[in-house]
Amino acid sequence: MFFHNFKYEILSTSRVKTFLFWLMVFPMILGTLFKMAFGDVYEKDVLFSSIPTAVVETSENAVFRQVIDSIEEADEPLLKVTYTDEETAKQMLKDGKAKGIIYVGEKLSLSVTEQKISQVVLKSFVEQYGINEKIIRDTAEKDPTKLQAVIEKLSEDVSACNEIPVTSGNTDVYTQYFYNLIAMVGMFGSVTGLHITVQNQANLSALGARKNCSPTPKSTGLFASLLGSYMMQSVCMLLCVTFIHFVLKIDFGKNLPLVYLSAIIGGILGVSIGFLFGSLNRFSIEVKTGITMAVSMLSCFLSGLMMGQIQGVITEHIPILNKINPATVITDSLFCLDMYSDRSHFISKILTMLAISVFCTAAGILVTRRKKYASL
Amino acid sequence: MADAVVKINNLVKRYGELIALDHFSLEIKEGEIFGLLGPNGSGKTTTINCLLSLLAFDKGEIEIFGRNMTPTAYDIKKEIGIIMQNVAVFEELTVYENVDYFCGLYITDKEQRKQYVEDAIKFVGLEDFRKFYPKKLSGGLLRRLNIACGIAHKPKLIILDEPTVAVDPQSRNKILEGIQELNKNGATVIYTSHYMEEVEQICTRIAIMDKGKKIAEGTKDELKRMIRNTETVNIEVLGLDDSIRNEISALEHVYDVQYDGEKLTVYCSGGKHNLIRILDVLQKHDTAFGRVYSELPTLNDVFLEITGTALRDKEE
Repeated sequence: MFFHNFKYEILSTSRVKTFLFWLMVFPMILGTLFKMAFGDVYEKDVLFSSIPTAVVETSENAVFRQVIDSIEEADEPLLKVTYTDEETAKQMLKDGKAKGIIYVGEKLSLSVTEQKISQVVLKSFVEQYGINEKIIRDTAEKDPTKLQAVIEKLSEDVSACNEIPVTSGNTDVYTQYFYNLIAMVGMFGSVTGLHITVQNQANLSALGARKNCSPTPKSTGLFASLLGSYMMQSVCMLLCVTFIHFVLKIDFGKNLPLVYLSAIIGGILGVSIGFLFGSLNRFSIEVKTGITMAVSMLSCFLSGLMMGQIQGVITEHIPILNKINPATVITDSLFCLDMYSDRSHFISKILTMLAISVFCTAAGILVTRRKKYASL
Repeated sequence: MADAVVKINNLVKRYGELIALDHFSLEIKEGEIFGLLGPNGSGKTTTINCLLSLLAFDKGEIEIFGRNMTPTAYDIKKEIGIIMQNVAVFEELTVYENVDYFCGLYITDKEQRKQYVEDAIKFVGLEDFRKFYPKKLSGGLLRRLNIACGIAHKPKLIILDEPTVAVDPQSRNKILEGIQELNKNGATVIYTSHYMEEVEQICTRIAIMDKGKKIAEGTKDELKRMIRNTETVNIEVLGLDDSIRNEISALEHVYDVQYDGEKLTVYCSGGKHNLIRILDVLQKHDTAFGRVYSELPTLNDVFLEITGTALRDKEE
């Protein structure tokens, strides 16, 4: 009896076109739009790019030329050099076509108009060149083939701080929006959860009344429906993550399996919340639908789907809300994977999701188990 | 004497101040097609919902197959087929899948179920629509699917709650014939309707309900015998003198005469050849008349005489 119910739950739910749209098609459309909107921003703004630099040679310096040639031959060259006269160089600096001017004489000097990252890097380069000029000069004279290796080695010391990555995850801040998207799909599962109660409660639909007349225990029907919906939602979550990762090429680092896990549990959380709202006895189906949709969308909004900074504002003023808001918990579980190599934060978020799911499901079953209705 | 399949004793159901069922009692015997007749809001569906343990009631007892009916009385539910007033099928499942789903709630053996599903589809004449989704079916075909879902498991007791609402005449006849066939095959049937013609046509016994009360019960002949009217004579007459009208009123077995300027209606109680005696009076006075017809009492007359309101008026 359980598998009979389960089979038809899967069959009927998988054919509800509105579910298919909101749980499969819509996230793909939104994800594609996110990619179009944010994809290039990260690459342009955040990832390192070569620093356009004007070089004015006041006297000939073959070693410096060799060094520059060597740098420009690298896969990701530090500098993009333009040799020019002083007047043109100043104009380039003024127009923003160069971040700085390196004057090459007996010693190097630098001229910049701003103090940003690019200028700091240029300053470090010029300083390091000055410190290591003798080594570089000797290498260039004795074995020019080793020059690039020497420069790379010396470049490691450009910064006083060594970068030690705290995670193997994606550090792209815009990935947060895709995490929000995954959370949104999870929260849309609440509509599936609501659908379960509509189809199983005699006071909500003719189908519910009809089912209640059958000799199948209500709990059997409910569990079959819940399991069927969890599975359907999980498939939707898997598709969403797969699309984001493999089609939109959003990098989840080495954490892809855990992203899948988190998404599936997020989907179960969404279904459970919808199931609880659907079980509230006092309201009509229209009111329940309204409540479910409103709560889901509010939850997504507060998790930063529409406004990335909102989570920070909540953390500052009502931190508890971030700990219990379902969409935020889903988003944070994914965010934790990027932020911490230690999995304890991730596990904590997963446990929170499971706890909310269990609470909602248990409460929903307790309420739905009512055997007779006061009115139909 | 056949055993009672359904026993309802002193049932009371309140919705706040409104009394939906007022000490309602009923006994339905095996093999009957029992009709619950009454206008909308008379308590028919409430009775059915209480009977099925869907609805909580304030007072009374319900027994089905001699056992107390409760929400967890699965052994009783297994023997009941229910066809709801509102079509209760999955929009996303085909005709075959819908019947298979509902049959599967009762029958676990796959081979047996397959046969039962085919039988049910054939019974309601949906063989050519197996792969159709409900939204592609007409109102009549949808009702037939609803019936197939309710009877596929071959229940001993079939409850049909207004199954012909908004159904075309062809489908209605098919449904009514089907119900009689199910009964011939051994099922006891409870049939609720506000269409008295349907109830008269198929029910072996009838309870008339109004305002949550049972106002009469019996076979259709027994019910008709409860009232004074035995024949209503209708004659088209243009210009009828009061003296002639009074003469007709004075005829034996005539207890009421109404004339609206075009149509003379004469109500008779008992007696024979009432029509001939009335026409004799008209001919004696050389009064021209047109169409003449005589009607035997209907359940509407029964309802009218007991409640003072016509069943049809209430529907309006």
